[in-house]
Amino acid sequence: MLESAELYFNVDHGYLEGLVRGCKASLLTQQDYLNLVQCETLEDLKIHLQTTDYGNFLNNQTNPLTVSKIDTEMRQKLCREFDYFRNHSLEPLSTFFTYMTCSYMIDNVILLMNGALQKKSVKEILVKCHPLGRFTEMEAVNIAETTSDLFNAVLVETPLAPFFQDCMSENTLDELNIELLRNKLYKSYLEAFYKFCKNHGDVTAEIMCPILEFEADRRAFIITLNSFGTELSKEDRETLYPTCGKLYPEGLRLLAQAEDFDQMKRVAEHYGVYKPLFDAVGGSGGKTLEDVFYEREVQMNVLAFNRQFHYGVFYAYVKLKEQEMRNIVWIAECISQRHRTKINSYIPIL
Amino acid sequence: MGCWCCRQWLNPVHHNAGPDQFVFVLAQTIMKARLKGAQTGRNLLKKKSDALTLRFRQILKKIIETKMLMGEVMREAAFSLAEAKFTAGDFSTTVIQNVNKAQVKIRAKKDNVAGVTLPVFEHYHEGTDSYELTGLARGGEQLAKLKRNYAKAVELLVELASLQTSFVTLDEAIKITNRRVNAIEHVIIPRIERTLAYIITELDEREREEFYRLKKIQEKKKILKEKSEKDLEQRRAAGEVMEPANLLAEEKDEDLLFE
Repeated sequence: MLESAELYFNVDHGYLEGLVRGCKASLLTQQDYLNLVQCETLEDLKIHLQTTDYGNFLNNQTNPLTVSKIDTEMRQKLCREFDYFRNHSLEPLSTFFTYMTCSYMIDNVILLMNGALQKKSVKEILVKCHPLGRFTEMEAVNIAETTSDLFNAVLVETPLAPFFQDCMSENTLDELNIELLRNKLYKSYLEAFYKFCKNHGDVTAEIMCPILEFEADRRAFIITLNSFGTELSKEDRETLYPTCGKLYPEGLRLLAQAEDFDQMKRVAEHYGVYKPLFDAVGGSGGKTLEDVFYEREVQMNVLAFNRQFHYGVFYAYVKLKEQEMRNIVWIAECISQRHRTKINSYIPIL
Repeated sequence: MGCWCCRQWLNPVHHNAGPDQFVFVLAQTIMKARLKGAQTGRNLLKKKSDALTLRFRQILKKIIETKMLMGEVMREAAFSLAEAKFTAGDFSTTVIQNVNKAQVKIRAKKDNVAGVTLPVFEHYHEGTDSYELTGLARGGEQLAKLKRNYAKAVELLVELASLQTSFVTLDEAIKITNRRVNAIEHVIIPRIERTLAYIITELDEREREEFYRLKKIQEKKKILKEKSEKDLEQRRAAGEVMEPANLLAEEKDEDLLFE
């Protein structure tokens, strides 16, 4: 029922949607980026950021100002905003938010598992975990000896439990398997998220499903590209491709057979959406495939704000904010390393 | 200056006083030999010092070049780290967690320059790249570039380390050699020369003494002789002296019975 969205959405989620649109309006514009690019030192950067929505977020920092401090503070700000949204949300928006945090949780869990295996102290690792991926059982991870212990004791309570069931055959854990585990978890997560959005129907499905399809295909392409010349076999590679994208099933099969970049490009040419992206690789700006994908993701996220009454705005806002953080860190690094040739390689958002 | 065998101060009443001259001449020969030895030694050491200094200058030049290059390479590597972080997110904790064995190791070899052994470091790879799959989902290309850049930086660092250790070792060696050269040139050789000069003066003096003694003896003999001749004249004049029979001048021999 298409009307139900407009009729009932605002009852539960109207306040938050309004809030998130307000936050989106305070993202840095092209003008702001031009100002930042012209800064000479990090102190200048801080002063410029004070005029934007970031305000005085760096006031509590002692000298000297480093790029990592800026990064941490920005992430804390995003986390505060996200927690506010989450705490005020009702079902099914809260489940949606949980799905959004799953990807960070996966990274944190892998980090904690690694640390536990290497007998590192939990406190050190907790500091390095992504704040958006916090879950209550984090400190308990180090008591587990093997992965099955870990799963049974700790992870079964987290939202990640169903994703682990798909990959529980990994009994030994070394470097190779850790990365494979991470990617397999992400694949199950993406597929679960996609199903959730599709089942929800309405505008949310219309907006979120293309975004998630693109994410799935993008992962497939990037995994293929990065596995050329490594020990990863073709069969292993195929198990890492998420199946919720446009490439499923023929494209994924073709990709699994690809041996180099040109073969990959030929696979992409079958799909009208990806052909222009691959053509834009190389070119005059020396863009890599990843840059092109980032740009497309930003485009899709900005377009999400053109429709109302759906959850996609929250997802899009978080992704755009993350991209903005990456841009600011990039500009700050270029400034602090005095390497200004590539300072304009950030991804412009608005 | 002492005797060459017992270092007792040489004087006429010496335990070796007998063959005095002999001792001095022997000492002189020995001193000459030592002087020659010292001079040869000094020349050889000077050559060694020159060779070391030449190598030293070469190494210095190479160090300056490598350091400049190092600055560039490190800058490039730090920037590629920023690029990789931009695309792949923060992978630093993953990398630090997975460290177990070194992939690039160093062997120390020895290089010989004019007798000075210099250590030379050579790097070699061992084991596979345990970070092959990091960034599989994002930023793999940038990570590969980053790995290459830092690998280059590490190789350059190893080279720089070799050069700097050689530099320090050579510096020590050159200082020692120069000290020796200077010691020989300004202390040992003058000392030997002074000794030699002293020996020569002693020998001359001895000769003069000898000469003088001979002369004195001759004079004395002459006086004695004159005195005895005078005596003889006197006694002859007194008719006391019987000339012994001159066998050769004799015309008549009393003992001959038959003529």
